[in-house]
Amino acid sequence: MKELLRVLLPLLVWLASFSAIYGLHGLGCASGWTEVALPVMSLFRWVLFLAWSATIFFQLLLLLALRTQRFDTTSSFIRRLSITNSWTALIATFWTLYPIAVSSTCG
Amino acid sequence: MNALRRHRKLQAIWASDPGWKGWTSSVNHSDLGRMFLFTAFFFFLVGGVLAMLIRAQLATPDSAFVDAGAFAQFFTMHGTIMMFLFAIPAFEGLAIYLLPKMLGTRDLAFPRLTAYGYWCYAFGGALLLVAMLFGIAPNGGWFMYPPLTGPLYSPGINTDVWLIGITFVEISAICAAVEFTVSILKYRAPGMSLDKMPIFAWYALVTSLMILTGFPPLILGSVLLEVERAFGLPFFQADLGGDSLLWQHLFWLFGHPEVYIIFLPAAGVISTVIPVMARTTLLGYGWIVASIMALAFLSFGLWVHHMFTTGIPLMGLAFFSAASTLVAVPTGVQIFAWIGTMWKGRPELHMPMLHILGFFVTFVIGGLTGVMVAVVPFDWQAHDTAFITAHLHYVLFGGFVFPMLAGIYYWLPLVSGRKRLFRLGELAFALIFLGFHSTFLAMHWVGLLGQRRRIETYDAESGWGTINFISSVSSFVMAIGLALVLVDIIIHAFVAERSRRNPWQAGTLEWAGMSPPASYNFASLPEVSDRTPLYETPDLANRLAMGDGYLGAPKAARRETLMVDAASGRPEALVIYPGNTRLPILMAAMTGGFFLSILLKLFWLTPLALAGVAALALVWVWQLGARADQGLQEAGRGAPLPLASEGDRSPGWWGSIFLLVANATFFGSLLFGYAFLWTVAPGWPPAQWFVPSWAELGLGTGAALTGAIAQHLSARRNRAGAALMTALVPALLATAATVVVFGLMLFRLPPPDGHAYAATLLILGAYGLAHALLVMLMQGFLILQVRRGYTSPRRRAAFAVVALWTDYLAAITVLILLAVHLPGMIM
Repeated sequence: MKELLRVLLPLLVWLASFSAIYGLHGLGCASGWTEVALPVMSLFRWVLFLAWSATIFFQLLLLLALRTQRFDTTSSFIRRLSITNSWTALIATFWTLYPIAVSSTCG
Repeated sequence: MNALRRHRKLQAIWASDPGWKGWTSSVNHSDLGRMFLFTAFFFFLVGGVLAMLIRAQLATPDSAFVDAGAFAQFFTMHGTIMMFLFAIPAFEGLAIYLLPKMLGTRDLAFPRLTAYGYWCYAFGGALLLVAMLFGIAPNGGWFMYPPLTGPLYSPGINTDVWLIGITFVEISAICAAVEFTVSILKYRAPGMSLDKMPIFAWYALVTSLMILTGFPPLILGSVLLEVERAFGLPFFQADLGGDSLLWQHLFWLFGHPEVYIIFLPAAGVISTVIPVMARTTLLGYGWIVASIMALAFLSFGLWVHHMFTTGIPLMGLAFFSAASTLVAVPTGVQIFAWIGTMWKGRPELHMPMLHILGFFVTFVIGGLTGVMVAVVPFDWQAHDTAFITAHLHYVLFGGFVFPMLAGIYYWLPLVSGRKRLFRLGELAFALIFLGFHSTFLAMHWVGLLGQRRRIETYDAESGWGTINFISSVSSFVMAIGLALVLVDIIIHAFVAERSRRNPWQAGTLEWAGMSPPASYNFASLPEVSDRTPLYETPDLANRLAMGDGYLGAPKAARRETLMVDAASGRPEALVIYPGNTRLPILMAAMTGGFFLSILLKLFWLTPLALAGVAALALVWVWQLGARADQGLQEAGRGAPLPLASEGDRSPGWWGSIFLLVANATFFGSLLFGYAFLWTVAPGWPPAQWFVPSWAELGLGTGAALTGAIAQHLSARRNRAGAALMTALVPALLATAATVVVFGLMLFRLPPPDGHAYAATLLILGAYGLAHALLVMLMQGFLILQVRRGYTSPRRRAAFAVVALWTDYLAAITVLILLAVHLPGMIM
């Protein structure tokens, strides 16, 4: 069970963060955060940008943690699989949420 | 004991009852796998006939072959049958039949659950077919969008048949998914660590986890729509705080993963067959496993790409567009791994390989049009046209039917013990391939010219007549090809000569038994140290038949197998299976009674049917109990093992874990729906809030937590041999208090037919109440077991299972009470 969790954790984190940021986007649009101006960009884009950055940072930490001896496993297959999944989750976090940086907001 | 005596003895223990009556009491996975496959292909035939009727209608402009009402039933039933009654059950049947053989074990984890799942599928499918014969089949399209399917625009029973019939069938999918997950993780040959599992098992494992998390949103959606139709609770009515978009979210949260739930098992067949046909091993096993997982997860981030035209904000669309393009990468990894495997081997063009080549061409085209429709501006143009219909057929026929046909021809010698006689299959393949591509390439074309999907006719001036005619004629060519496959298989089953064992020289364990397989699969269980055990030990089949493995000395009337450590495959426990029984078919019939009572609005029958299901479930579990400790058991090879039922991590505990995963997804979807309606739906806030109560919030939270703590305490006291009632009775009383709190909450709700807010609270409360009653039933049952001497410090499996459900109850109680009481306190 621990091995299964170790393998699935990075992708679970991606799924949770993707859903949460999509939810945050819906909440921001419904609450009119786009109208609140802050330095550089609106409150809406700041909130999403910070959430996206935090998720990328967390995925990076997870990737580093899975490579350390402290979280090591006896099976080299499980180790390789969890690190590959961690890279996948990191890339997916960057790619699927990059519209935060470039797309129009609630239009 | 020689091999023949061992075979006879095992056959006497494991065989199903003789004759057709044996079908109703069989719990054997080979029997049930065949029954699943037979029924699924029967539905494929029915769905195919409906497709022919659709194409006959569209062959010429202004056609009067069928009227619009019948046409709507035809396309709805075609889609519904192919998705729910053919594709998923065909995977279930294949996996039920093959997995234990591939994993080197004697049956799946819960044989009675396999049978229950089959009968739910058969009865649910029959319900839909009977409705079609009476002309009251569903007619709202296979994705049943409200408000079209709401009570206002679809007042008849047609939509109810879909909602209730499909939910009934989905029970079968959930049962199978729990079954596969536990079996793959815990029921393998000793030594088969995760990296030595056959690749098909990885595909089946990931698919099962996807079913557990993908199906609950649709079950929830079906429940909400049925409750709206039956009792007027307005979840999807915009004027009363509902939103029809909620259905689309719930449906596609299921619907997009569903595409991969269908594709992944087929890809598992491809990954199994290609290396054997190419006389080599699979290239990039680890990369393929990683790509399956990536594909599974990414598929849950795509659902909104079915909703690009619904007016969702652009940034939201862009998230899902990006995810939709990304999903092509893990698919591409698998495609390249398969090409690489063929490249490094020496491919032989046998019958299965022809269908795999058909898959490559078709699926790659379907994938590329998929990338096209993942791009938002293109999708806005092509949405709801025949282009989309063509795309989805390229993906599903290419990604499922061609691989399944490859699998049928590959495993046919195993199932029948015969080899092919005539070369009818090659002709059939040619007709299917040419017919399919002509049908659906034409459909892409006519879609781009503007023909919308689901229209029953079109004008002659539209210019679509010739293309549709080509498409229709080609579809009949394809149908003739598929009929020839059926003829080929019938000839094979009855006329063909006996084949030698393992005719393809494959390396996986399903070929290490007899052909056709014996009811017990293996006379003794192998010790595995390689991914392809038959390449490493060519005489493995004979050695197993001679008893040179685990459990080679059958004990009278005990169906035995081994449970192993999930990661390493080290033997952990001995499992004793129940024997043949009609309990599953009875329980499925009783479950059907529950669904029928709702469909026919015979609400007096509903509690009776539920009580019947509960009573049969108690008999089901009671039969597993034992009144004496059995201690360590001899499992062969000098490995004494405890019984699986004499420990904390029993099969029931593992099954409960994964059932709770599905259950939690259902609950999470309900909370998502609540949040969605609150933030997006018009007509909020409601006129009347639920009046919060600190006393109820405190009492409910306290009772649920106390119940969980007392339940764990009882498990600890049982292990220590101390008196149990001092913990069990408080646990039961605490759960009873939780029931009271949910009852009070439901009693005090604002009128649930007045606004979606109150309707949602009603569903939340009913969900909590149902779970509290279920846990009370479990706790009462456990007390009865304790009093009758069915537990001891060693026989403690039931304590861990009940504790798991009590923990879940505590978690949902706290969340439900917060979701219900907090808004009133804040607002």
